[in-house]
Amino acid sequence: MNSRIQATTNTQNKLIPPRELYDDYGAMLLGYIVGVVNDRHVAGQYLVEIFKDLSNGLSVNQEKGSSVFVQLQLLARKKLEPFFETAKNCSTTDFVYDAQSKNRSIGLMTPDQQTVFCGMHYHGKSVNILALELNKSGDEIRKILKESFTIIRNSNGR
Amino acid sequence: MVVKEYIESGILETYVMGAASEAEVKELLYLKSRYPEINLALKELEEDMERIAQNMAMIPPPAVWDRIDEEINDLIIAPDVAPEIFKKKTEPKTEKPGQQYIEVESESTHMKIHKNWRWVFAAVFVLGKIFLGFAIYFYLENRQAQERIQELKTEVRQLRK
Repeated sequence: MNSRIQATTNTQNKLIPPRELYDDYGAMLLGYIVGVVNDRHVAGQYLVEIFKDLSNGLSVNQEKGSSVFVQLQLLARKKLEPFFETAKNCSTTDFVYDAQSKNRSIGLMTPDQQTVFCGMHYHGKSVNILALELNKSGDEIRKILKESFTIIRNSNGR
Repeated sequence: MVVKEYIESGILETYVMGAASEAEVKELLYLKSRYPEINLALKELEEDMERIAQNMAMIPPPAVWDRIDEEINDLIIAPDVAPEIFKKKTEPKTEKPGQQYIEVESESTHMKIHKNWRWVFAAVFVLGKIFLGFAIYFYLENRQAQERIQELKTEVRQLRK
């Protein structure tokens, strides 16, 4: 492969070959994409598109010091906008939150926390939209989001 | 104290979720560079996001990388030089709507005509020569006739005497 075709995704502005990015973050990205599109085949196609964009010179290194994965996830979110409407709702029976479940942290959240966390994570909703939906202020939505992160952190034994 | 309140406000969480507004992002990036506590809290949140993703990770089928590799190899690398931009030269028009100006005098001092005109010019040249020949012939004939008339008049005057 041509050495000039490399993604510019790194905190130190160093070029990382797409293969390295794929090995490190491909599985994590695919898991997130499947959570949004609910279809492994379609998710695989989106994964190809994301890495194609990265190889085609698209830079996701917008802010120095940001995590590579978070930047990749933001890029994936932009691509997945058409699916945000149809993504599964975390507070319904679509998800199983038992002890063996991969997303057991979400099962530990209150309905409001699930709505806020999943609304942003899988539906790409903004603070203002969630505030309208839950009839709460923007500050309250941010607090609820913070609480859901605390639950995730605690459930992972930190 | 203000830094702690900022961290507790939940703005960092909205940032890592990609739900922060542009103004919030600008403010956060500024504060992150200024306060190490904010930078540390943000890094912890990014690690949380990675941990969530690791829990949900799915190993892609081998065919996915083959497709990515294929797509990358198909990409055409653009040269480093900036592409030349061709623009049609347009001069500002000052006429009012409905008016149209016609250029009546060209700036060039030369003119172009059809090749057929060379036969017309040749014919005019030849006819000009013929007319000149006739003019000289009749001029000489006329002068000779005048001289002859003068001689005859002289002879008539001598006979009368």
